[in-house]
Amino acid sequence: MIKRSFFALSKPGLTCDLLEPDPEAPQKIDVPALLTLLLPEPLDGSRDVLIQKGDPVKKGQKLQLYEDSIDYAVSPVSGTIKSIDTFTADDFSGLRTRIAIEKDTQATDQIEYPEMKHELSFAARHLNHLPGAPPFARLARTEVPVNSLIIMVSDTDLLTTTSQYMGTVHAATLQKGVQILKQITKVPKIYLVLPDRLQDRVRFDSMTLLPARLEYPETLPAMIMKNHLDKILPAGKTPEEMGICYIRAEAVVSLARAFETNAPVFEKCITLIDKTGTRHRVEAVIGTPLGQIFSQLGIQINELDRVVIGGPMQGFATFTPHHPVTPDMDTILVQDRKTITPLSDNNCVNCGKCIQVCPADIPVNLLVRFLQAAQYEAAADKCDLESCIDCGLCAYVCTAHIALSQYIRLGKHELQKLRTDV
Amino acid sequence: MNNTKLTVSHAPFWHDGDSLFKKNLNFILALLPAAIFGILQFGAPALGVLALSLSSAMLWEQIINMISKKPSTIGDLDSALIGLLFGMMLPAVIPWWVVVVGTFVAVFMGKMIFGGTGANPFNPALLGMAVLMLAWNMFFDFNTAYVNYEFSFTALAPLAAVKFQGAATELFPLNDLFMGKEVGAIGATFSLGLIIGGIYLILRGYIRWELSVSFIAGILVTAFLFYMASPQKYAGPWFHLFSGYTMLGAFFLITESASSPVQRIPMFIYGFLAGFMIILMRNIGTYADGTILAILLVNVVNPLLDNIRPTALGKDMSNA
Ligand code: SF4
Ligand code: SF4
Repeated sequence: MIKRSFFALSKPGLTCDLLEPDPEAPQKIDVPALLTLLLPEPLDGSRDVLIQKGDPVKKGQKLQLYEDSIDYAVSPVSGTIKSIDTFTADDFSGLRTRIAIEKDTQATDQIEYPEMKHELSFAARHLNHLPGAPPFARLARTEVPVNSLIIMVSDTDLLTTTSQYMGTVHAATLQKGVQILKQITKVPKIYLVLPDRLQDRVRFDSMTLLPARLEYPETLPAMIMKNHLDKILPAGKTPEEMGICYIRAEAVVSLARAFETNAPVFEKCITLIDKTGTRHRVEAVIGTPLGQIFSQLGIQINELDRVVIGGPMQGFATFTPHHPVTPDMDTILVQDRKTITPLSDNNCVNCGKCIQVCPADIPVNLLVRFLQAAQYEAAADKCDLESCIDCGLCAYVCTAHIALSQYIRLGKHELQKLRTDV
Repeated sequence: MNNTKLTVSHAPFWHDGDSLFKKNLNFILALLPAAIFGILQFGAPALGVLALSLSSAMLWEQIINMISKKPSTIGDLDSALIGLLFGMMLPAVIPWWVVVVGTFVAVFMGKMIFGGTGANPFNPALLGMAVLMLAWNMFFDFNTAYVNYEFSFTALAPLAAVKFQGAATELFPLNDLFMGKEVGAIGATFSLGLIIGGIYLILRGYIRWELSVSFIAGILVTAFLFYMASPQKYAGPWFHLFSGYTMLGAFFLITESASSPVQRIPMFIYGFLAGFMIILMRNIGTYADGTILAILLVNVVNPLLDNIRPTALGKDMSNA
């Protein structure tokens, strides 16, 4: 963990990690006997579900809850569905459904995969699950047409190098993927964000390169828009609402591989940072429980340790080491309980450190007072709640150890509810 | 690993390691040079006052927390700092009960009734001082306080001497004032020590240079203007800078975070305004030193000032 420097006149220097020279190939994690696939859609008790406990599934079979479901998973193995249930996700995204599949070790058959088509609707129906979570579902929606596609060969959060690895080591495949992407999406502008310090290590042709500095939060989507595209993200809007879509390098590589083999891809590349801060690069099949990765790497998880999915600034802590690998899981951070800084219920002491670090110029010291008093509309009107880009820096520096990010997240959530109620 | 309970909390999962405890501890460290100098200069009574002030302030917070059934918060040293600062503003010779009442006012009325650390609209130590000065002004006459002392320098409190006795500022060479060779509060006389402590805090990022610099500018500019208008009547800017509570004010009082602004321009206005008010009070008011009341006054305007701030990301859009 990067601590405050002794002399602290300047901002904290949090820098995203740079991919090491000559990166090693990821360590392969064995396909486990029991896999779990997640769907963002909850079970609806009043409707008939398409898939049932006990159903046999084949490798490559598409699993969705209802005929009209947009979300689906694709089974990475052949076997049997052991259970389907809905649970509350640990990243505040609401209810989700998990499908547990027991692998049949004998089965070698796999589903006949439909012929790959260079069509967006095809991609949305068949390729959403690819490692790297390509945003085809979003691209297929047409209310706000996407006019810029930004391929991220840079990682947004600290510590992780997954996107850099996938983008540079597989640069040739990535280029092929970009061609397919162009044909599928017909988006006029495609950019590629590359850490400036990787520029001389890899070449990309016929794409506009956006060299990103590694200083956090320069790597976040809103900052890339601001610094490179000269577009300010309006408060409360997402880049997607502005017609800008970000896509991970890994998603583009997976796309190219899927077209190459005419088969789905399930191997997800993950950067794992263990308790000692050592970085491991692993490749695990989507649905693999994290526990399997930990035991294969010899990482001991003890009571009250913290397992973070995503980076230290923007990830979320999972409550169970059974959490499966998902298509968008770039990073796993394991923290020893001893290194966890406790939060407090202190008041803000107005030290102003948050003001100095906030990239969105939000008066966090005032904002937190409104949020603590549950005045969400005032927080948005007077203190720019919606301008926050969730970088987490304010909470990282807060002298009073206030759970600022949590308040902000909750505030945005409640505000949304208030607005939709009206 | 099967049913291992994990710690679940919200991002971010890193912290820069700073805390209220560290902040206050650094303040206390930074105050030590001036405090130790005070003890050497004014002897055991000064030590007694500081010890009593610091410990009683912590005790009050503990008692109030116990009565209001709140968890103990003295561990973050906030009251310790209030107590130390308060003690350093007192003369070395003062009845013990004044100290205890003062820390009660500072801790209870200064911060606990507003909701504890961070919720105070005023600088707690100054509030304690102001109430005591209004109630028992006689204890704050630095000249009578030190009648039994023998000093190697002019045994008159510089500000009062110049203002009320018409003493010439030549009686107080700047060098002496700077090195603490003056009569005054325990911890406020040793300007050099306070400056060293202040610069330390600025470098560590615990106080904002904008506040200290604009405060000093306010003092110097205003005092200079008065001095230019009538050099016979008013003391010069450097005299004001190194006498009374000025240096303590510049680095330790105006910079109290909860009662001061955090945005840059507001900080400049705030600091300058305080310096300006102090000289006004000294030169045309009835008090010899206006530091305490002037800072309390600018505490009042603080909430207004912080409205001057940059536009947040995505807020200045004409189409938003
Ligand atoms: S998380 Fe905090 S620092 Fe980051 S944009 Fe939001 S308010 Fe500003
Ligand atoms: S960093 Fe924390 S304590 Fe300091 S002003 Fe911001 S919210 Fe308040």
